[in-house]
Amino acid sequence: MVIKRFQPIASRAKRQYVALMFQVMGRALQAVSEVDQEVQQEAQALPEGFLFEMMVMPDGASLVVEHVGDGRLHYHGSSAPRPVNVSIRFKHITHAFLVLSFQEKTSVAFANDRMLVDGDVSYAVRMTRVLNRLEAFILPRFVATRAIKEYPKNLHLPEKLISAAQIYLKVATHFIQTARA
Amino acid sequence: MTNTYYEFFCPVKVIAGKAALEHIPYELTGRAARRPMIITDKGVRAAGLLDPVIMACEESGLDIISIYDDVPPDSSTTVVRDIAAIYREKSCDSIIAIGGGSAIDTGKAVNILVSEGGTDIAEYTGAGLIKHPLKPFFVVPTTAGTGSEVTSVAVITDEKKGIKLPFSSSFLLPDAAVIDPRMTLTLPAHITAATAMDAMTHGIESFTCMAKNPLSDAYATSAIRKVSESLLHVMDNPKDTDGRLALAQASTMAGIAFSNSMVGLVHSLGHATGALCHLPHGLCMSVYLPYVLEYNLETIRGPLGELLLYLEGPEVYAITPAERRAEASIAAVRKLRDALYKRCELPRTLRETGKVNESQLDQIAEMALDDGSIMFNPKEVTLADVRAVLNNAWG
Ligand SMILES: [Fe+2]
Repeated sequence: MVIKRFQPIASRAKRQYVALMFQVMGRALQAVSEVDQEVQQEAQALPEGFLFEMMVMPDGASLVVEHVGDGRLHYHGSSAPRPVNVSIRFKHITHAFLVLSFQEKTSVAFANDRMLVDGDVSYAVRMTRVLNRLEAFILPRFVATRAIKEYPKNLHLPEKLISAAQIYLKVATHFIQTARA
Repeated sequence: MTNTYYEFFCPVKVIAGKAALEHIPYELTGRAARRPMIITDKGVRAAGLLDPVIMACEESGLDIISIYDDVPPDSSTTVVRDIAAIYREKSCDSIIAIGGGSAIDTGKAVNILVSEGGTDIAEYTGAGLIKHPLKPFFVVPTTAGTGSEVTSVAVITDEKKGIKLPFSSSFLLPDAAVIDPRMTLTLPAHITAATAMDAMTHGIESFTCMAKNPLSDAYATSAIRKVSESLLHVMDNPKDTDGRLALAQASTMAGIAFSNSMVGLVHSLGHATGALCHLPHGLCMSVYLPYVLEYNLETIRGPLGELLLYLEGPEVYAITPAERRAEASIAAVRKLRDALYKRCELPRTLRETGKVNESQLDQIAEMALDDGSIMFNPKEVTLADVRAVLNNAWG
């Protein structure tokens, strides 16, 4: 009985955490695309108006970003203005939680069949590189190495600290802006 | 507990060995199919490889209703549409694809159209769009390498848009793969070598890449052992049926392995080089394999060292110190390539192919970096890394 009652609470907590992480990542993606040249370079190859989505199947939390040109990404919240170009779909909330709580690397999750890619695979590969770069930026090193296959060599500590601060700042202001709007 | 998790799936019945082709009529009736269509290419027909299949069916009172023998090396949406039209016009009820990767992929794509309806195969591109089992479908491979007979993907070129459309669904898998040594007996030396190196690469990459798992490992190691033991023997004795069967089985086993655990950077580079320089896939695999293994070495030292047992046999494995086995595995691959070069001049470097220009390397690198298989490479690959591997492979 007790267990039965606890499960929905754990599950709700997972759901809330995943939804929050999607928000943080969405905002951070937009922020990092405004400050980091490498991310801009990667994103520039995407067509303008390209929509990227990460979501939990069947219709759970999601994050949608758009390439608005010049390598800049725009965070759309959880719903897309039109059909998306590339969608990365977690098969279950538990799998999304494993990845977003940095217990399982994104690349490992792919390898482990935790998620599906729908759309042009080459763009999906590109977005995975952007996500890796983002994770390396916003997470402390010991967590980041768990989240990505390899910690980028060209990410030195001062640069990282400054960039991370900038990104956190941007994420924060973005949060406030959204809260105000 | 670790986060270990994997999926393994292979529902294809494998019919292999002497007189395997003669089982086709029985398998067709087992799925209530009476009006089969053969999809193949001109080369297969010219080599007389259709005759035993047609004969086997006729002897069982089963007529082949239609034969389409014009599948190009790079199959297109138009070809698929045309074949589907013939299939419908002749009221066929099943498909037998006989050939290499292209004929098999075409068979898979035609099966989508004739089962799901419509004339535009592009509507079904992507993953998971097909939700129902398709028409009875049988595959007879005539090369020993691609493993397409046991993979759930097909790639078809959209000529108008100039892009390759991927199709992925477990329903694309054939009901049965028929492995008969008669089908590969006349394969020319350089194709035998290149396709076997493709199978070898499937085995090695699935054993060393991110999605490796115990079940695919078993298939991968058996495939590597069979290629190592049989390839040179077949090169010297092309008419040896047992050797041919060993290579064909190795190809199927490696196909089962990699369709469940994916491939890595060798394939990313191979796909890019194939698209830009029009080099055969197997040849690209053979060229890149040792250079990519060297690049991945420190990340895959353990599994790569284990492969020495299957590449060189128990004696060599036993006398090689554990810490040198990974390097010895790479040396074994190089040795095999040298032996193939001696027998049929299978290129070992990009320069030796004579079809790649050094100025194309940057473009190859960029394209390889966006290839889906790079996600499964054990090491995170940067553009500079790919460029360095290409430099080494240039020769
Ligand atoms: Fe291959």
